[in-house]
Amino acid sequence: MTRAKSQRNAPETRYASNWVAAWRRFRRSGLAMFGLVYFIIILFVAVMAPVISPYPYDRVDYGITLQLPTWQHLLGTDYLGRDMLTRLMWGARPMLLVGILTGAVGMVIGVPLGILAGYLGGAFDWFIQRLVDLFSALPWYLLVLYLVMVLSPSVWNLILALSVSSWVGSCRLVRGLTFSAREYDFVEAARALGIPTRQILARHVLPQIAPLLLWGFATSIPGSVFAEAGLSFLGIGIRPPIPSWGQMLGQAGQYWMYYWHVFLFPSLCIVISVLAFQGLADGLRQAIDVNVNV
Amino acid sequence: MLNYVLRRFLGILIMLLLLSFVTFVLSRTVPGGPFGKVEVPMGKKQLELFKAKYGLDKPILEQYVTWLGQAVRLDFGVPFTAPEMTVTGLIFKLLPYSALLGFLACVFSLTVGIILGMIAAAHQNSWLDNAIVTYSIVVGSIPAFVLGFVVVYVFAAKLAILPAGGWGGPKYLVLPVFAYGFPAIGGVARWTRQCMVDTISSDYVRTAYAKGLVRSQVMSKHVLRNALIPMVTSFLPMFPGMMTGSMFIEMVFGLPGLGKQFVLSSTNRDYPMVLGITVFWALLLSVTYFITDILYGVIDPRVRITQKSS
Repeated sequence: MTRAKSQRNAPETRYASNWVAAWRRFRRSGLAMFGLVYFIIILFVAVMAPVISPYPYDRVDYGITLQLPTWQHLLGTDYLGRDMLTRLMWGARPMLLVGILTGAVGMVIGVPLGILAGYLGGAFDWFIQRLVDLFSALPWYLLVLYLVMVLSPSVWNLILALSVSSWVGSCRLVRGLTFSAREYDFVEAARALGIPTRQILARHVLPQIAPLLLWGFATSIPGSVFAEAGLSFLGIGIRPPIPSWGQMLGQAGQYWMYYWHVFLFPSLCIVISVLAFQGLADGLRQAIDVNVNV
Repeated sequence: MLNYVLRRFLGILIMLLLLSFVTFVLSRTVPGGPFGKVEVPMGKKQLELFKAKYGLDKPILEQYVTWLGQAVRLDFGVPFTAPEMTVTGLIFKLLPYSALLGFLACVFSLTVGIILGMIAAAHQNSWLDNAIVTYSIVVGSIPAFVLGFVVVYVFAAKLAILPAGGWGGPKYLVLPVFAYGFPAIGGVARWTRQCMVDTISSDYVRTAYAKGLVRSQVMSKHVLRNALIPMVTSFLPMFPGMMTGSMFIEMVFGLPGLGKQFVLSSTNRDYPMVLGITVFWALLLSVTYFITDILYGVIDPRVRITQKSS
């Protein structure tokens, strides 16, 4: 399917390299560009949080609790008089860490298993398939909640618990892709030349499926961001005093009806982040120019 | 077909065994038991008595086998935090709230989502289609608990026409159902659109037009009926999914459902309760997936054939 499509598009993209063409398709979507710009900004904010945040994130000041936005505290203060802007900046860190690392850990486990299962087939494939079935039938939200609870809440345990379910998606995606890549002529030719399997997988199969892997990775981010916000909101994600947007919402619980700012800003951060990452994933899908049904 | 059913059934059993084993062992081996942090410190002797009472002094494997023997008879023991009840009793007491909330939210999001998706697909690539797709992406980015706060603020605090939380009749369900169902509309609309668009571009639809059928006929007889297959299989598991995933909404609105109980039980390390809810929910989910797969074969004969051969 991929090849038929690129052939049909050939006249239009004849003089452009693959990367340029992909970038051109990516740029067409406004939401995707928004996602990319947002990602760069939020990455900068997260990395530079200790430098650019106006106050220490845990500086309590009982004299100025629940202040509405002022020039000293641009987004106001929370119930302990801590600066909201500072805490929101620091909150970008767990969001990005969980969002990106969960997908990454899932890939580290899922990609090798999926590529081997799809290429080798047979008993190994059968075994992996059953494992995937087993894990996808688990009520994963419960399991994550449970794992974080017993392992004691922290960023790393959150990532660990979310990875328990995140590898399944990438494994299934990679297996399906490898399964079809195995039939390509050049892969068969490599096999006929007697090139070792390890080399075929690394040099011929993996580059074929790499763009789709990137897309699969991007689509996993919004879910992890959601999960981090939700669990921190329930008080079992990121542990205070380290701020997280979900946790700030949970702490806003009793005050937000009278002080809108403690609720509005963290909510906006979560919603905009999820939206941006979704746009980014969508743009990547268009850039790769493949209809994926998985 | 029978072979397939039996194999799937066996798969569910293995999954439940594994899940219960993992959760059981984790709950017993991780430091900080239910007697770890109590207000009144207990003596060593007293602690041992308590442990003996709940069988916590025996080897883990033996504890698990005992638990399993009772669990197959739906006896999950007694919650640590509510000794006057049984786990099964408490689950069935709280289940109706979560089930009702999940069911209504599902019906709400499916109704609105499917209609939107169908409108978008029928006017593919028009401004209306673009608007609906953009709308569904934006809607899907709002966490249910955030929306919960917003609707409480508007309808309960400012307008004061609906209760902010708690339980006491249909009026108390309006806001939670809306907050829970609304974000789900996005996914439903996008999937419906995708299914319809895929069907519209298929050969038999072109043939139908070539035969001279009018648009309304093709839409209802060829497109809708075929697009329904992938829709049913992905929308049916939404029901148990939303019934079991309502913990955030239940926390925001203070609804006395299973989700809230699960969070509270986990915080209190109430092992029997947590184990009971986990296994119960896993059972509910896997049975629905099972029914969906069977139903898939009933609606689509092609699937039946591949199931037989595999």
